[in-house]
Amino acid sequence: MKHVFVFDQDKCSACSACMMGCLDQNDTDLAAGDKCFRQTFDNEIPLADGGTYFAYISAACMHCVDAPCIPACPVGCLYKDPETGFTVYDNTNCIGCKSCAMACPFGAPRYRASDGKMVKCDGCNERVKNGLDPACVRACSFGALTCVTEEEYKASGSTKACNALIDQLGLRKK
Amino acid sequence: MTELEKKIKAKIPGEDTGIEVKHSLCAICSPGIHCGVDCYVKDGKIIRVEGTMEHPYNHGHLCTKGSSLRNYVYREDRIKTPLKRGGERGEGKFEPISWDEAYQIIAENLNKVKEAYSANSVAFFSGYCKWYRPIFHRFAHVFGSVNFGTDDSTCSASMVIGYKVTSGAVGATDLIHANTFLGWNFDGYYSNHLNVAGVQKLKERGGKVIIIDIRDTPASKNLADIFLKIRPGTDGALALGMAKLIIDNGWADMDYVEKYTFGFDKYKELVDQYPLDKVCEITGLDGGKILEATKLFATNGPACINFSASALVHHINGFNTHRATVCLSALTGNFDRAGGNVPGVMTYLHKPAGFVTREHEFRSNRYPGGAKRIGAERFPLWDAQFDEFQSMDLLRQVETADPYPIKAIFGLGMNAKMFPQTNQLLKAMKNNLDFFVNTDLFMTMTCKYADIVLPACTSVERGELKAYQGGYLTFTQPVITPLYESKSDTDILCELARVMDLDDDLLKAGYEACMDWIIDGCGLTVADLKKSDLPVKVPIAQWPPRPGKCLEDGFKTPSGKFEFYSNAIAAIDPKYGLDPLPSYRDPLEDQNDPETKAAYPFYLCTGARLPHAIHSRTHETPWLRSLRPDPTIEVYTTDAERLGLQNGEPVELYSPYGKIRMKVKVTARSQPGVLMTLHGYTEANVNELIGRNHLDPYSGYPGFKGMRCNIRKVQEA
Repeated sequence: MKHVFVFDQDKCSACSACMMGCLDQNDTDLAAGDKCFRQTFDNEIPLADGGTYFAYISAACMHCVDAPCIPACPVGCLYKDPETGFTVYDNTNCIGCKSCAMACPFGAPRYRASDGKMVKCDGCNERVKNGLDPACVRACSFGALTCVTEEEYKASGSTKACNALIDQLGLRKK
Repeated sequence: MTELEKKIKAKIPGEDTGIEVKHSLCAICSPGIHCGVDCYVKDGKIIRVEGTMEHPYNHGHLCTKGSSLRNYVYREDRIKTPLKRGGERGEGKFEPISWDEAYQIIAENLNKVKEAYSANSVAFFSGYCKWYRPIFHRFAHVFGSVNFGTDDSTCSASMVIGYKVTSGAVGATDLIHANTFLGWNFDGYYSNHLNVAGVQKLKERGGKVIIIDIRDTPASKNLADIFLKIRPGTDGALALGMAKLIIDNGWADMDYVEKYTFGFDKYKELVDQYPLDKVCEITGLDGGKILEATKLFATNGPACINFSASALVHHINGFNTHRATVCLSALTGNFDRAGGNVPGVMTYLHKPAGFVTREHEFRSNRYPGGAKRIGAERFPLWDAQFDEFQSMDLLRQVETADPYPIKAIFGLGMNAKMFPQTNQLLKAMKNNLDFFVNTDLFMTMTCKYADIVLPACTSVERGELKAYQGGYLTFTQPVITPLYESKSDTDILCELARVMDLDDDLLKAGYEACMDWIIDGCGLTVADLKKSDLPVKVPIAQWPPRPGKCLEDGFKTPSGKFEFYSNAIAAIDPKYGLDPLPSYRDPLEDQNDPETKAAYPFYLCTGARLPHAIHSRTHETPWLRSLRPDPTIEVYTTDAERLGLQNGEPVELYSPYGKIRMKVKVTARSQPGVLMTLHGYTEANVNELIGRNHLDPYSGYPGFKGMRCNIRKVQEA
């Protein structure tokens, strides 16, 4: 069953519990300089009227429908999981060329200095296959970050699927 | 990778992976919360934590801090064994000793002070966490000391006492039946994540939300229909001004006022001194917006008000501000009514669960009396209304020995950073105490001053009794064995009671026996509770609290009514100048002379919550610290521009009392002239800047959230 990450900015507070869930799940080694796959943003955007817009955002790999990182990899590490639809990878053959990171408009794939290989958010693919929510979704108390099946998403009438963001923002190369 | 290897790497629980899910609770924040957690355990180690879905309180939700519980439990600075001081106090040189030796040294030294001075010369002091407090409280009394104190001296109790002298009981928000929510300092997103859903639901069914805060927050953005961004420390004036508008516009519930309240005429005289233009001048708010918010609150009822444990009462005018806001609830006929603020009974450790226990009796029925507690002379209202010493007077008494010397401190989680001018307290303790023992999870700055340091364990390494809203009780089981040689705080106390052969069979019988005594009569025993690893419904619990009890049976105040004019305060010696009415005074009243004003033009507000921190408890937890690596001072955009300050720039923050270094964060969230920062950093302890006598005379609470200071550029160290 294909799954979709959905982000509702109106419910987010950038509290970063999602990041803690991600660090806990992935044993990310911050001391070695590794970074959390998910990032939150608490940005202040000055408005024309002198006011400020407070943007609370949580972002990780968008698991784009047509992910540009996949064809960018010269050794074929990245692929779509046919079951979940997530953009997953096997970095056994990774040569650390960072082409995937260059191709990604969101900077999701990361170069890990400790072993010279690429790593990224895999949507907690294995958890989802075992009927669990992705760790970040599980940690969100406010319903800002959810992960639903494609059917549920279509039925909800929502327009906030992360995997559509690349098209919504017009970022795709023609 | 095989399928099994993939599952193990992904931490999927199951027999095949050897990963077991065990239930416990997170005790990083206040015991008023304490969410249920699922610990994924493999080979005796926690490998992942998430909220317990089946838990009747948090329903699977955890906050930022709780989500980092594993990182907190396995911190590298955990104290591993009992320690005995080697070098000077404060140097941090220790040698490991056995538990037996530690107990012997503690017993000997406490008894020495008791014999040479008196038992009262031993002060028992608890910081966070609060879970062991009934045992500790009783321990102090059985030892013979009247002096048991806690961080309640600066947290929540001022609000509780403010309620007590006004309405006789704390009124919880009845959001389910409310049409309007007045979120005074409400920011559930950062400090009480479980409160947000109730407000969201109220909005979804057409309810209205007013948020009053000094800064823009996720609540003001996501939830507010009306947002009043108020000048800090002026909430009391706003509450009085709102009361005047309510009375003048005929929005007051005069039937309620006549039937259930006391002192309305005097209250009306007070609020008449706060016309709208004056309130606007004090609060910096727009008159139209105040009127709009007041009308909504008063006419779109039922309406309930959020009261914070610290935001208002951490001002030297905070106690009365809190009372002034509570008065709005009665003035509009919302107190003890459905959809308003409904009083309930506290069952156990700050949790209402619809039944009473013998907690208070357990704590207090061995009170030795015979001497005044620390702070009694200076804070008579506190002393009359709360059964702990007011620790904001501890430093003075350690220094002066007036009215009697304090020669030993037994600390559980004692953290001197909680005290204004921390270093003065540490210095006085270093020089004047004969003995100091502290117990903690981590080697804190305060522990370094102790003669003996004991290692406590975390909530997931112990079993404990816990009550929950909804009429629940649970007795948790450890999910891992205590790390290193650490022990549960209550085991430490009960074992020490045996070593010292204290005259109390209950304490000597151990924690579980004590808990059985406390919950006796509820229909369940600790043994019953231990059969389930989740909270169980208590047979006698009545939930939810039924509104109208005070209205029917009378309020627990001297007049039996809701008191706009407090008889309990009127009974305090007039020489202290405490006003029975919730009158307003300037939050910087003691610092407004022209010289101080000119030298320290900024309003320092400390401790307003951010999601990754609570006090000093999480600053050294790596995952959480990574979210904001540097101690940071938030400077308003226009102030930063004027002073030429950039993001990340090092600055010095200084007051007449001290100076610290922080890094600048430029923000439009706060307001001009206001500097905001978190407290509790060892390397940048902002409480050094708060004057030790900058205190609210009613409660003794420090003005943590309102203090004059200044800021200047410095070269990078």
